[in-house]
Amino acid sequence: MSFRRFLFPLSFLLLGMSFLLNLSMGSVWIPPAEMVEGMVTGTWAKNSWEQILLHYRLPKALVAILAGIGLSVSGLQMQTFFRNPLAGPYVLGISSGAGLGVALLMLAGAAFGVTLTGLNSWAIAGAGILGAGSLLALVTLVAWSVKDSMTLLIVGLMVGSAVSAVVAVLSFFSGAEALKLYTVWSMGSLGALTWSQVSILGLLILVGTLPIVGSIKSYNALLMGETYARSMGIHTISLRWWMIGSAGILAGGITAFCGPIAFLGIAVPHLARMLWKSADHRVLFPGSAVLGASLLLLCDAFSHFPGWASSLPINAVTSLIGAPLVISLILKKNFSKDF
Amino acid sequence: MNQQRIALEGIGLQLGYSQEGMRKPLLEDLNFQLVAGELTCLLGPNGVGKSTLIKAILGEITPWEGRLLLEQAPLSSYSIQDRAKHIAVVLTDPIFPGNLTVGQLVALGRTPHTNWLGQLGETDRVLVEKALSDTHIGYLRDARLGELSDGQRQKAMIARALAQDGSVIVLDEPTAHLDLVNRLEIMSLLREISRSQGKAILVVTHDLDIALETADRFWILNCGIPLLSGKPEDLVLSGQIQALFPSDRYQFNVARGRVEWSQAMPDFQIEGPAEQAYWVKKALVKAGITSLDQTLVITEPFGLRNGEESFRSIKDFIVTQKLQK
Repeated sequence: MSFRRFLFPLSFLLLGMSFLLNLSMGSVWIPPAEMVEGMVTGTWAKNSWEQILLHYRLPKALVAILAGIGLSVSGLQMQTFFRNPLAGPYVLGISSGAGLGVALLMLAGAAFGVTLTGLNSWAIAGAGILGAGSLLALVTLVAWSVKDSMTLLIVGLMVGSAVSAVVAVLSFFSGAEALKLYTVWSMGSLGALTWSQVSILGLLILVGTLPIVGSIKSYNALLMGETYARSMGIHTISLRWWMIGSAGILAGGITAFCGPIAFLGIAVPHLARMLWKSADHRVLFPGSAVLGASLLLLCDAFSHFPGWASSLPINAVTSLIGAPLVISLILKKNFSKDF
Repeated sequence: MNQQRIALEGIGLQLGYSQEGMRKPLLEDLNFQLVAGELTCLLGPNGVGKSTLIKAILGEITPWEGRLLLEQAPLSSYSIQDRAKHIAVVLTDPIFPGNLTVGQLVALGRTPHTNWLGQLGETDRVLVEKALSDTHIGYLRDARLGELSDGQRQKAMIARALAQDGSVIVLDEPTAHLDLVNRLEIMSLLREISRSQGKAILVVTHDLDIALETADRFWILNCGIPLLSGKPEDLVLSGQIQALFPSDRYQFNVARGRVEWSQAMPDFQIEGPAEQAYWVKKALVKAGITSLDQTLVITEPFGLRNGEESFRSIKDFIVTQKLQK
């Protein structure tokens, strides 16, 4: 079909439009035309617009793009590696580790004299990264002794549940204020990051995505299963280490900075497969990246609908918008056959 | 003919698996030679260790003893990628992503030869085209794997193995899910390829009939005996093929080239062409008829005459015979 040739230009167009829409939306509506004019010429119709854009909306939009790319690409990687359409960036339990780190800081921190008002975004991100890092170490240890990837998948899911249970116990014993703070964190937020944090997140996404891009050929061979991949000269064991490393950095880093963002990582790779009708990772990785970034930008724009006093939690919006979208696509097309 | 080239050789191999720290040997003192330009069929009952042998050849498991030589060099001295340039494989179970086209699948066979992105160069493209045309599936190039029949898909898998361009192709029961015609077609295709391209092809199969028709060489593996290797016809005439059937209940019928349930054939008196008499006799034995009162005559066009009575089919005859008893 000839329309597929225009899919990449179209998806980049979508990305650009989502970006502009995302910047315009918020409690103050900034018309896209005037925004572009302001950015190009440096003269703004209203002074406050420049402030809002530079210090709040631009970093938020960039975070949406970064997190969208990271989660989608990581989800595609996990789905192919585990040959499982339900796999996503969180299946190894690493983001639960980030959650545990944050929970320990917020919920148990009070016992050690940490005041909730003293928590800044650096402390939260640091706790998340520490938590994700320790879970990553644990998964690595397990992976050492586990031979097949299905066992690794099950172990990852189990570890994730166990860690969530610890968080549940912590929640049960903590005060209302700390609990509210943690609940809000767990709903995800793209907007709380400073420019320096955005650049760290950007670096993490870059580092986490590079091993995936470098293994594109291996992932194509892996479509046939591990035995075939090995028979075609793919070193599946070393690929597994790269996978664990990149999933740890991407899922752990994004969760640490933005909180858990559900759904995107599982859904976007399927959208990419359906749109491009391809199994080739040379198409699917960039496709998922662009789609993921656009989708998260749109979801975030929707959560900051003008006129609303406060914004909706991003985690709820991604699922609210994403779930019906994917369900409708799945019902229309033969989903399992495409995988 | 110039001298036979040995692509893969096993010398005194011992293979097995570890369970709870204990070594359980499955195959011992295994010697074999896989010859280029020949189609070799590996036959043997389930559980005898055929898959273990295949795994060893693919480098998935290491032999505990003995040597496994690929092109005269130890298999373990090859890196995964170098090994992939020599040995390609087709497995029983069709694992396939429905979105992949046949052309893309065959191109995947070039994986060990391409750059990090898997881009096809001029040689790669030529070899992919050749693999498609050698397996007669060029017309399926743009079809997606999800749309193919099992037979077509297996041909595509063979094309992929061909595109890998090694000297050895190993197929583990490639015809297990296929119907009779497709089984014949796949095996004769493999024979054709071994001939025309000088490849050493090893097929694990349970289809004795088809293997007898197509193979240049048999490897027979069974419990308690060393691996038997030889021309199928030699093995038949020397009676060694009987090693496949350890119990006396099954016999290899040399005259008909097939396995039969060995049982005492009642001495029926049947008159008529030998071929037709054979099938009539078979039907009577199956129906449990052990003796006939008089000579049964086969008439032309086909019918049976038993004394005064005439029957249009074997079925009619058997029904009346049973009624009389």
